[in-house]
Amino acid sequence: MKSFQYVTPHTVDSAVSLAADQGRFLAGGIDILGEMKDYIASPRLLVNVKDLPVTREITPGKESWTIGTNVTISEIEQHAELKRVFPGLQQAAAEVGSPQIRNVATIGGNLAQHSRCWYYRHRDIHCLKKGGDTCYAHDGENKYHSLFSGNPCISPVVSNLAIALAALDAKAIVRRGKEEVALSIADLYAKAWENPEVHNSLTGTDLILRVQIPNGGRRSAYQQVSEKASFDWALVSCAAAAKVEGTKLSKVRVVLGAVAPIPWQVQAAHDFLEGKELDDGVATRASEIILKEADPREHNGYKMPIAQALIRRTLKQLVG
Amino acid sequence: MLSWPAKRDVVGQDTPRVDGPAKVTGAAKYSSDVQPEGWLYGMIYRSHWPAAKVTRVNIEKAKQIPGIKAAVVERDGERTIRFYGEELAAVAGTSRQACLDALLAIEVEATPLPFVVKEEIAKNPNSPRVWPDAANLTEPNVREKGDVDKAFAAAAAVVEGFFTTPTQLHQPLETHGNTVSVTYDGVTCWASTQGIFSVRDGLADYLEVPHEKVRVITDYMGGGFGAKFGPGAEGGLAGRLSKAAGAPVKIMLTRFDQSLAVGNRPSSFQQIKLGADADGKMVAFEMNSFGTAGIGAGASSAGGGGGAGFPAPYIYVVPNIRVKQSSVAVNAGEARAFRAPGHPIASFGMESIVDELAVKLKMDPVELRLKNDPNKIRQREYAIGAERFGWKQKYKPPGSSPGPIKVGVGCAGATWGGGGRGTQADVQINSDGSVEVRCGTQDLGTGTRTLVAVVAAEVFGLKPEQITARIGDTRFPPSGGSGGSTTAASVCPAIFDACTNALQDLQKKTGVADARGSNWLAACRKLGVNPLTSHGQWQEGLSSSGVGGVQFAEVEVDTETGFVKVGKILCVQDCGLVVDRLTCETQINGGIIMGLGYALYEERMMDSATGLVLNPNFETYKVPNFADVPEIQVILMDMPERGVIGVGEPATIPTAGAIANAVANALGVRVSSLPITPARVLAALGKVGKVGSTA
Repeated sequence: MKSFQYVTPHTVDSAVSLAADQGRFLAGGIDILGEMKDYIASPRLLVNVKDLPVTREITPGKESWTIGTNVTISEIEQHAELKRVFPGLQQAAAEVGSPQIRNVATIGGNLAQHSRCWYYRHRDIHCLKKGGDTCYAHDGENKYHSLFSGNPCISPVVSNLAIALAALDAKAIVRRGKEEVALSIADLYAKAWENPEVHNSLTGTDLILRVQIPNGGRRSAYQQVSEKASFDWALVSCAAAAKVEGTKLSKVRVVLGAVAPIPWQVQAAHDFLEGKELDDGVATRASEIILKEADPREHNGYKMPIAQALIRRTLKQLVG
Repeated sequence: MLSWPAKRDVVGQDTPRVDGPAKVTGAAKYSSDVQPEGWLYGMIYRSHWPAAKVTRVNIEKAKQIPGIKAAVVERDGERTIRFYGEELAAVAGTSRQACLDALLAIEVEATPLPFVVKEEIAKNPNSPRVWPDAANLTEPNVREKGDVDKAFAAAAAVVEGFFTTPTQLHQPLETHGNTVSVTYDGVTCWASTQGIFSVRDGLADYLEVPHEKVRVITDYMGGGFGAKFGPGAEGGLAGRLSKAAGAPVKIMLTRFDQSLAVGNRPSSFQQIKLGADADGKMVAFEMNSFGTAGIGAGASSAGGGGGAGFPAPYIYVVPNIRVKQSSVAVNAGEARAFRAPGHPIASFGMESIVDELAVKLKMDPVELRLKNDPNKIRQREYAIGAERFGWKQKYKPPGSSPGPIKVGVGCAGATWGGGGRGTQADVQINSDGSVEVRCGTQDLGTGTRTLVAVVAAEVFGLKPEQITARIGDTRFPPSGGSGGSTTAASVCPAIFDACTNALQDLQKKTGVADARGSNWLAACRKLGVNPLTSHGQWQEGLSSSGVGGVQFAEVEVDTETGFVKVGKILCVQDCGLVVDRLTCETQINGGIIMGLGYALYEERMMDSATGLVLNPNFETYKVPNFADVPEIQVILMDMPERGVIGVGEPATIPTAGAIANAVANALGVRVSSLPITPARVLAALGKVGKVGSTA
């Protein structure tokens, strides 16, 4: 990595203004330090946000739960009440990296993390995402890449928590300029759908402050399939949430991860599932709707049957 | 002729590692931990191109970076680069950051050249040549016996298959590297090596100093599996930097570097045809194969570059065979010996086709093996293994288990040498009863230091912890490199001989008729001020060569997601006289876990468009974690009458074949390429339109 300066602000105002001049925010450091070591990013200044006030709490509320941006993945994984209320979130957290990573990685960093595409992460490849003119994955080694994309870059979103939080209709409260804005998870990633050079909708000075998850008596579940049993990225992940009476579903969300630059959800599938009694046929039909627009590349077609199985299994887990 | 005692008190017991406490407390200093006074960091500048004509490497600006004490160009003059990661220059400085900054300041003038990195493309005559004067694809090495075509025509059952294995990278947890100190007095090298004497000679020759001027020390090292015998480019560059800077220089490779330039297991693409008579007796075998050893293959280096040939039909006796094996050069780092070179590749292909034959003949796979594998030891091992594994109860017709998650079992066999060779040792006995054994071998992590103590303790009637075993220093009596599973069979006889001589000398000198055990201290006290020193060496009769080994695997395969979970591996392994049961079993565990990685996870991924290795890290070059490791049951066939035989390599050979056969048994279709990923399982099941790892 290249030399850099390091600063620890104690207010959000100063954090944001410091980041404006070639700075990058630093929380757990799992993502940014990797980028720096591989010369993917060489910020002049690291702005340590870990000491910002009121960012380390998990707080229940009448309308919603609030999770501060510096809450670690381990804290989410091990929070008994959170696990009871939002099991899908806890299951997604438990699949992140290794215990060592979960102990330092934060929810804010997990949501804001950059692409893991092996072309993007290679120090000697100047790909489309890095401002070059070619997505090498498109016709190259794309077994870990997207089934859906709105632009020529096919690197997928890999945040586990984003997938679970999307299913839970969570909002990310982001400091943007002088304002605090509430972004849905879809909004948080929307720009990555169209613009190959971004990983999400955040600008360099946008700072996630906290995440709010609405209460609402919905069940949730998360499953993923990786090549290894632990400490491995999802090939495909799936989160679902719904109100469940018997086998009848309502307010359903099904979201796929690692198949698109955004958490992949299809409104038509949510509409289809609304009020349905869940059985194999319904689950299979839902998966067909969700995967309808898929455009597999040479090496990632296997993600289709995995996605189908995960959609079915995750929905069943809600009911089961 | 010496022989091992019939009654053994220490040899063959479970002796915990004598250096275990030092290792778990951090007191043990590995080669990468060594920090001699005034040492400098060293780093290597590598080619950014897979192929290029380099006309100039300018290190002047690098030398100006604050903290940099030396910089050297790897080779003067114009040169041709043939793979991404080839060494071009190196720097040494007072901090890691100074070196990193210096690497960025190095300027290289180069003209990129055409390249090819995929075997199936490289073998096309129109593809860019890796070596200008030779085709990428070698003429096949042909072995023929009997009349193959006639035998196939008469065979009752014929099966065919196409099997592929990936390039597996050398990824010991301690990367390659050395700390080298060049002074007026000579050269000291702290090396992460499998061969202290081969590092000594290689480094001395590179630096043009007499061998005796170089001392190599390896107290503790973090793993070597065939690629750590010499100083390597990194050792030579550390030496030159040390000379230039007047200070010790440490170059330990990064994981990124490790993935490019320090060796790998060649890939293979094997077309196999096997025929048998109605009783299951194999009558005909035909193979056409090719594979790459990176730039270390191809016609220009045939026979010398560690090509991609391997034994076939491996452990089976077939009267009529025709084998044609070629190597194909690609622009990628070259192969080096890799734990049981050739054998895991051979075992996977052959054991896969044998199971296909069993299915075709509707014959039990173990029974088919017993019919065609004449090795007496393996015959016994299959019998013991099948019994303990519950093979008869567990083996069901392929694909017959109900539900989406299918279970299956499979087996495979192996062969290996593992004999010993010339090693010398000294023993010093002091008047306080303490014993120091010195031998110029090295401990790869297998427990060699403990074996030295065990053998000495056996001879003297002492406990292993009463022996001080000193190894890993070229000032000690010489021993060979730790390759070919030869260390235990080389070292143990030499220690036994030296200690037997020492005991005789002690008894003679002190007049104590039997100085062993409870008499030890009294006898030693009679020595007075001068310690007693005796010498010994490797002797015939205390070791031998040639092991079998069979493994049984049990798997669960999720047919909806393609995920493979290995539930259990049972291994029946012989290695002659077991010296330390604990270290023997843990070494077998390690071999099986490495085989598991080969079966399910590991694969160097080359990119056709850029010529780069896409997965030079543990994120996407995947190795097993604890969560992936199955229950492992090791059954040792102790055969003391054969003497000591090495066990480092055989246990990694059959694992992938056994797992692949278990997966095929579970699914009813075969995944014929390693690693067996979810993508490949789903493709084999016909659930995917497009899949593959090669363009």
